[in-house]
Amino acid sequence: MRIAAIGLACALGVGVASADASAAPDLGSDAQRAAGKELYTRNCAQCHGDKGDGNGVAAPHLMPRPRDFTSGKFKIRTTPSGKLPTDEDLKHIIKVGMPYTSMPAWPEFSDEQLMSLVSYVKSFSPDFARAENQVEGMTIPKPPAMTAESVARGKASYAELGCARCHGELGRTDGGTAPTLKDDFDHPILPADLSRPWTFRGGARREDIFRAMTTGLNGTPMPAFGEALTEEQRWDITDYIFALGGSSESPDYATLLTAKKITGDIDLAAADTLFDQAPAAFFPIVGQIMQPGRAFHPASNGLTARAVYNDADLAIELRWNDMRGNASGKNAPDLAVPPEEDAAEPMAAKPAGAAADDGGWGDAEEKPAAGKAADADPWGDAEAKPGDADEKDPWAEDDGATGAGDGASEFSDAVALQFPVVLPTSIRKPYFLFGDKDHPVHLWFADLARKTPSLWLGHGSDKMENLGARDLAVTSRFEKGEWRVVFKRRLRSTGALSFEEHGFAPIAFSVWDGASRERGNKRGLTTWWSIYFEPAEKPSPAGSMAASALGVLVLEAAFVAWARRRKRTEAA
Amino acid sequence: MNLFDLRVILGILAVMALLRLVRASLLVWILAWWIGMYVFVSRGFATPVPASAQNIYLGIVTLALFAYVTSSGERVRSFVDPLVTFAGDGRYTLALVPVLLALPALAAYREYVNAKVPVEPPFFARTVHPSPPTEITVHDVKVDMVGGDNPLRHLEQSDPEKFRQHVENGKAVYYEHCFFCHADALGGDGMYAHGLNPAPANFIDQGVLPNFQETFFFWRIAKGGPGMPDEGAPGDSAMPEWERFLSNEEMWEVVLFLYDHTGYRPRAREVHAEGH
Repeated sequence: MRIAAIGLACALGVGVASADASAAPDLGSDAQRAAGKELYTRNCAQCHGDKGDGNGVAAPHLMPRPRDFTSGKFKIRTTPSGKLPTDEDLKHIIKVGMPYTSMPAWPEFSDEQLMSLVSYVKSFSPDFARAENQVEGMTIPKPPAMTAESVARGKASYAELGCARCHGELGRTDGGTAPTLKDDFDHPILPADLSRPWTFRGGARREDIFRAMTTGLNGTPMPAFGEALTEEQRWDITDYIFALGGSSESPDYATLLTAKKITGDIDLAAADTLFDQAPAAFFPIVGQIMQPGRAFHPASNGLTARAVYNDADLAIELRWNDMRGNASGKNAPDLAVPPEEDAAEPMAAKPAGAAADDGGWGDAEEKPAAGKAADADPWGDAEAKPGDADEKDPWAEDDGATGAGDGASEFSDAVALQFPVVLPTSIRKPYFLFGDKDHPVHLWFADLARKTPSLWLGHGSDKMENLGARDLAVTSRFEKGEWRVVFKRRLRSTGALSFEEHGFAPIAFSVWDGASRERGNKRGLTTWWSIYFEPAEKPSPAGSMAASALGVLVLEAAFVAWARRRKRTEAA
Repeated sequence: MNLFDLRVILGILAVMALLRLVRASLLVWILAWWIGMYVFVSRGFATPVPASAQNIYLGIVTLALFAYVTSSGERVRSFVDPLVTFAGDGRYTLALVPVLLALPALAAYREYVNAKVPVEPPFFARTVHPSPPTEITVHDVKVDMVGGDNPLRHLEQSDPEKFRQHVENGKAVYYEHCFFCHADALGGDGMYAHGLNPAPANFIDQGVLPNFQETFFFWRIAKGGPGMPDEGAPGDSAMPEWERFLSNEEMWEVVLFLYDHTGYRPRAREVHAEGH
């Protein structure tokens, strides 16, 4: 009877459970729960399980795991840390989904359907039925103006609170504890990459970041700062995090890499400034899930490329985030991945505390006198110089002591650029997974534990041939959670693709994270995108503008002359 | 639904109604039609129409208007005469000069805009659903693509319980292997879809499941991107060759699941007249 009355109240649209914390919990009507069950069974049970315990058929393959509704632990809430979410919180997250996870957005559900679903989801945990668990959600205040000062204050708080221990100094997940983090369900969990706000689970608006700072993420190591920090302090830190992500909420993925023509030499020793004029292109990285040795959850989700060229050479810079720069061990595109690691449970193979490497950087070209190369390379200098000691996180050191010894990993980080051997003239490109029988590709491959790159000829991932360094050179550096690798090659090459001014070529990328045991086919990759060699001087439109204006003028003159003559003869 | 921008269309109709009221001349009507169609194709759609398609439409409009005007001598005269009077009569010289200057400026501006268009990689048209071969071999089993059928389909009538079990198996296969790209709700917008080009198939789209027989999807699943005929951009497709991971039965089951979950029916087989 009471349930029916509450159901009626709900149907009348007063169903915000948290509206009155003293009232009995609103668990929805039988009809609502029945309708919710129907929606749930069709749309949600695959992952969250028929019993709501997060053990659906898809669950073992997912990272992060689907929510276990029986636990009563929900990440995205407006309620204080450790508390249950409000109905509105649950509705919101169903509606917008969790970006970059397997939880999609469900914008097609009506408010009524969402309410039914929420009623059913709440029935999985007895916690929702207890009146004392009812708390009101906070109203997120209107964000104050973001200023250089607020960002600076936020930066200081970020350092003081130790956010970098997990998220890393620049938010690239390279904090000392990051690889060891687990959630309350003992599943490995990654800290949010604060340099990639579009991946934030609860949204990337400043209001969303503020909410996460205030209420934390239940069931995860992310604490709540609602009580420890004032509202102003939380906005400051929000602004700093927003700035870390480039103040953008969307990734703006590229399909084209534009190589800028420069006049000077292309010198890898000057890699720091070489690309200042070149536009950056950010490409999405997805898992290699097409061939055996699959990586359903690659460590990287995007890579930024820039390119410059002159009359002789081409250089391409690649940057991507990595928790650890694994510059020991080995890697290669043809390393075999045993079947038991194919589609293995996500991150199961990740060794805990693959400790910080010293930030490996390789020198530019392979030279007989390695010492000479090192002092000629400003990248090396920059790396060896000050701050090395200052920047060391005390936590990272702890980790080094308890973790995997000296940071050695079996597999090193690696990266590859892929080009067709012959420029395709039709839709038929080489297969983007290392080519195919009739359409080979070249890989510019860099095992970041080695100083020399290698050129590989691919006729498919099971037919890879190492051709040696040839005319390739590479330099690399790992700093604050980011790999930066620069490849250099002559613009024209015999037996390989030659690049021409104003020309296009297909280009693809692969990234291997050694700590995640990525090697061979197990890797993050991109599909084919394009590189364009922008001419030094873009043709001015003045010529064609003048020509078409003149053309129109001549036609006009002819028409007017003809009309005038006709008027004259009419008059005569 | 949101195909058109209604404000633009209503604006065009309002101008046309006004011209009707003031009994505009043929010349004005022709100009109004051309400009109206230009505004319609460039602004009237919720999602912008590609420039190449706009040019094709406007070319057709221009030809149609030309055909209309030249269909009788009277129309030609009522179109040309005002122009001749405007250009030839000394009284209008003051108004003529700005027009004579504005048109070349417009032409130059068009060239300028064209030059500013960002570069795009060479484009090769691809066939989205290329024709399958007449027969394929999967795990040593020959499958007739034209006359064949899903070997589990008959259970729908003869043994519904067993059929349900196959659909459930198909669901498990889908949520283990497929939904990373083809999505939870089968909309083709899974968590890796943003990184793929061409985009994964959208099974909710009416143009996909109902338009093909089940053998078509069995072929696409078993042979994947590498098995695509040349016109289907085989080097780009991220569709795996599922015969490397799945048994024939699992692949037929996942096809059953796709139809079951979306509620679509496979396209009916064509009955050939040569049968008696």
